[in-house]
Amino acid sequence: MELKVENLHKSFDGQEVLHGISFSIQSGKALGLLGRNGAGKTTTIRILMDVFKANEGTIFIDGKPFHPSEYKIGYMPEERGMYPKKRVDEQLIYFAQLRGIKKAEAKKEAQRWLDRLHIKEYEHRKLETLSKGNQQKIQLIQTLICNPDIVILDEPFSGLDPVNSQLLKDVVKDLIQEGKLVIFSSHQMSYVEEFCEDILIINKGEVALQGNLHDIKKEYGYNRLVLNISKYTPMQMRALCTAELKDIVDIYEERKDCFILELKSGHTKLELLNTLVGLQLNIEKFMEYEPTLTDIFVLKAGDHA
Amino acid sequence: MKQFLTVFRFELLGFIKNKVYLISTLIICLVAAIGLSLPNFVDLFGEDQQEVVNGVAVSEEEYVFALYDPQHYVYDTPTLQATYPNTEFKLVSSVEEIRSMVEKKEVDAGFALKGPLEFEYYVLNSTLMDMNEQTFSMMLSSQYRNQQMQNENIDMQTVNEILSAAAVSESIVLGRDGVGGYASTYVLLFILYLMVLIYGQMICTNVASEKSNRSIEILVTSVSPNALIFGKVMAGAVASVLQAGLMIGCAYGFYQVNADAWNHMLDIAFNIPLQTLLTFLVFGSLGYIFYSFIFGALGALVSKVEDINTSSMPITMIFMAAFFVTFYGMFDIEGIVIKIASYVPFSSFMAMFVRVSMSTVSTLEVLLSLAVLVISTVLMGVLGAKIYRRGTLMYGNPIKFFKALKMIKKKD
Repeated sequence: MELKVENLHKSFDGQEVLHGISFSIQSGKALGLLGRNGAGKTTTIRILMDVFKANEGTIFIDGKPFHPSEYKIGYMPEERGMYPKKRVDEQLIYFAQLRGIKKAEAKKEAQRWLDRLHIKEYEHRKLETLSKGNQQKIQLIQTLICNPDIVILDEPFSGLDPVNSQLLKDVVKDLIQEGKLVIFSSHQMSYVEEFCEDILIINKGEVALQGNLHDIKKEYGYNRLVLNISKYTPMQMRALCTAELKDIVDIYEERKDCFILELKSGHTKLELLNTLVGLQLNIEKFMEYEPTLTDIFVLKAGDHA
Repeated sequence: MKQFLTVFRFELLGFIKNKVYLISTLIICLVAAIGLSLPNFVDLFGEDQQEVVNGVAVSEEEYVFALYDPQHYVYDTPTLQATYPNTEFKLVSSVEEIRSMVEKKEVDAGFALKGPLEFEYYVLNSTLMDMNEQTFSMMLSSQYRNQQMQNENIDMQTVNEILSAAAVSESIVLGRDGVGGYASTYVLLFILYLMVLIYGQMICTNVASEKSNRSIEILVTSVSPNALIFGKVMAGAVASVLQAGLMIGCAYGFYQVNADAWNHMLDIAFNIPLQTLLTFLVFGSLGYIFYSFIFGALGALVSKVEDINTSSMPITMIFMAAFFVTFYGMFDIEGIVIKIASYVPFSSFMAMFVRVSMSTVSTLEVLLSLAVLVISTVLMGVLGAKIYRRGTLMYGNPIKFFKALKMIKKKD
């Protein structure tokens, strides 16, 4: 299954908030949907869910126009939305029924998920009496109870402790392995890096960057290198970079175990290596630097983007 | 339709399982049951406390009154004893003595006679139920008249017969008995008023809560806004009809059981003609649904539950105005105001019901009003669903109703 979004435009009160968003995603993959607050992520998701109509643009699934009502879609919004004063089992069954699941099946699925996420004892409790983390798990069950073909997760890990995060990570990994089409929106870049093969960064309603995460990292790290000289203290490393290597590199970042260097324009990695060899230094680490997703995000969606 | 039924069932159970709903229904049913059985309880436990004198039940409760009557106009007269059979009159020598005795609660009250037709009544705290002054006044007048007639040698019995002669009449109502139907119409109108206000606010709060706790985010992505708002409104309608039905049924049942003990005093309120009841059900339900759609849409225009009052104030005022127009129309049932009100959808469900209940209205008029109300309710449902859809995902300051109307003209 391939979902293809082409040239989405959306305006509110005459002000355009999406300026031609396009992307595609296949089953069995997760797309990391990234962007600063107000960038247009939620609007894009709501257009996908048919809550808003796009002013322009098309959405296709396997080449045919996409009608959300024809598919089972699991949506976990950033602003958690369930009934605090109602019982957990009652509302899980209700939300499942709204998506066309029969009551008996919904009950069975609710039991299975509550069991899997270790919260079976809370099934008859009111939602508001549960901890934030457990409420989060209930929200995830609400998303997945209808066995959706398309899963949209908006900040699913916020407020979770490490143990529960691991539990949810396993669930998300299973969803991807099961061949679901997953759209994953988060500001926690480490999770995006862990799950998503592809990313889409939206900035001010426009696509700032998209593509395969590995390729993007490679592309954005081409002029940076990781260097460490055996038994050199940070002070010695700094002295080396600002004296012998000053014409070739700038210090990009100082880390405990290495320095990240940025090649000056017109200079190459080979030239740097030759210089280091010429200085007869005991090179412990010399490798291409792969930027983190946070680096790329700040670059593409930061204030100076 | 399936989604509508799912929403309807969930919302209806939500209403019915609500503790406030259950407790208020139970309390009102209990109050009705106990209140309407009261005369029977009084008969059971109060029989020994009453004495029948000359066919009239006389309370055995005893009173003590102070009496200042230097000319002995009434003291120790048979008239006084007959008027106050269980009362002891303490003759005092001054008005001050009466004051002192009343203040010290040595007596229940006091009378100071200044002449054969003039007296002062002293009591510590006056109450609406205190009839002593009127009774004493009537007794004095009666005694004075009798005395004067005796002095003039006029036959008292003859005069009494002449004065008590009354014309016998029977009114034959060819149309609707407006007087007889007043009580039942008033009761049903008031029930309708409460139902619209209470359940309208509940639906409004329900929608605003869903927006406030963000469950609306899930709902609007899972189910059509039409199914949502129609499900909510219809669930509210059924819950309210169920509650009102239980209360009225309970009151009606207990009254039927205790009607003899009430001496059929409340037949006027409880024996509701079938036509009145049917009009109430049809017009009442439609009017209720009409307002519920408005309240539902208003709930979608606020982000916080605490903003509901501000948002719903204008429509509440309109509804209250419609109620008062109808209420005052009951006293001028053929007036132009209630006639106009019976075609305006904001008031027609009350006004036409009142007209049908208390006067004669042609079938054509009823059908015309019904058609206007049905069309308005359907339109309000469609409009409500559109406002609901637009309003539910807009957060921040409350949106004005007229701005919401402008919004729905625009494309999504």
